[in-house]
Amino acid sequence: MGLQENLQAEQVCSLPLRDPVTVSPNTSIAEVVEAMKTQRLGCAIVVDADRRPIGMFTESQLVRMQAEEQSNYDVPVSQIMSQDWPSLKQNAPIVDVLKSMRKHNVRFIIVVDEEGGLAGLTGQRSMLEYIADHFPGQVMVQRIGGPPHLHNQEGA
Amino acid sequence: MIEEFQDPLANYDPKGYCDPVERSLAEELVLTIQHRPYTTISPETPVRDAIKTLSALDISYLMIEAGGSLVGVFSEREALLKIGTNIDTLGDSPVSEFMTANPIYVHDSSASASALCVMAVSGCRHVPIVDLDARIQGIVSPQRVTEFLTNQLSLN
Repeated sequence: MGLQENLQAEQVCSLPLRDPVTVSPNTSIAEVVEAMKTQRLGCAIVVDADRRPIGMFTESQLVRMQAEEQSNYDVPVSQIMSQDWPSLKQNAPIVDVLKSMRKHNVRFIIVVDEEGGLAGLTGQRSMLEYIADHFPGQVMVQRIGGPPHLHNQEGA
Repeated sequence: MIEEFQDPLANYDPKGYCDPVERSLAEELVLTIQHRPYTTISPETPVRDAIKTLSALDISYLMIEAGGSLVGVFSEREALLKIGTNIDTLGDSPVSEFMTANPIYVHDSSASASALCVMAVSGCRHVPIVDLDARIQGIVSPQRVTEFLTNQLSLN
């Protein structure tokens, strides 16, 4: 079966989902940034008391705050977060991750369970690992970080 | 007596691919993935200006160029991990103090799979493309890889 069929047949829950940074709406931006630094993740998901995702704070929003003079990092994340972040259910086909990232121009996709509760985080990194697993003979044998073969050739 | 010519490639089977993405990863150059435009700054640029450039252009990655060659990268990830909420105290320092020096890159003559390999193996989200003289030729970003994959899979 080719990649296209697998992307349609396999479900999002078969991707390597990541444990996201989760915070409550009242958490300050400074605390959210510290949590993202600690876990080395480029986003934090804001969840309600039932652990349902209600917003997202990303590195891009931090950069916009850094670029403005006199940004206040003590404000609650609920004042800054994006509220319309794309999410997918665990049983959606993997191809929807690609489509959603392209449509919304984002790197992260929130994965939710049947009840709408947060199940995990997927996105660009997971898709690349999936492609690499699919074509290890093409992707994983590449020489990286050095000169190409042509550069090492001697003689005629 | 003249020996009958034996074609050494008589039994050669050209490589077959099960999928258009596999063929493209193996046979097309990394330049096939959209790799322009890109933005460069000098190592002496104050990090505050680097961050303002990221924000103003709505991009997540800058290449640091000195003497016509790539010497480092500065992205949203460095802005998160190394600046965080301390832009007021660190903003005047040169970006060279915060950039990732000697980033992993690929050559313009490498297969498109090499960019995905860097992302999947090293976790780097952006992959600079350089020529044999280390001059910057472009940048492969996650969004451009998503676009490449969706185009190859005819998902538009």
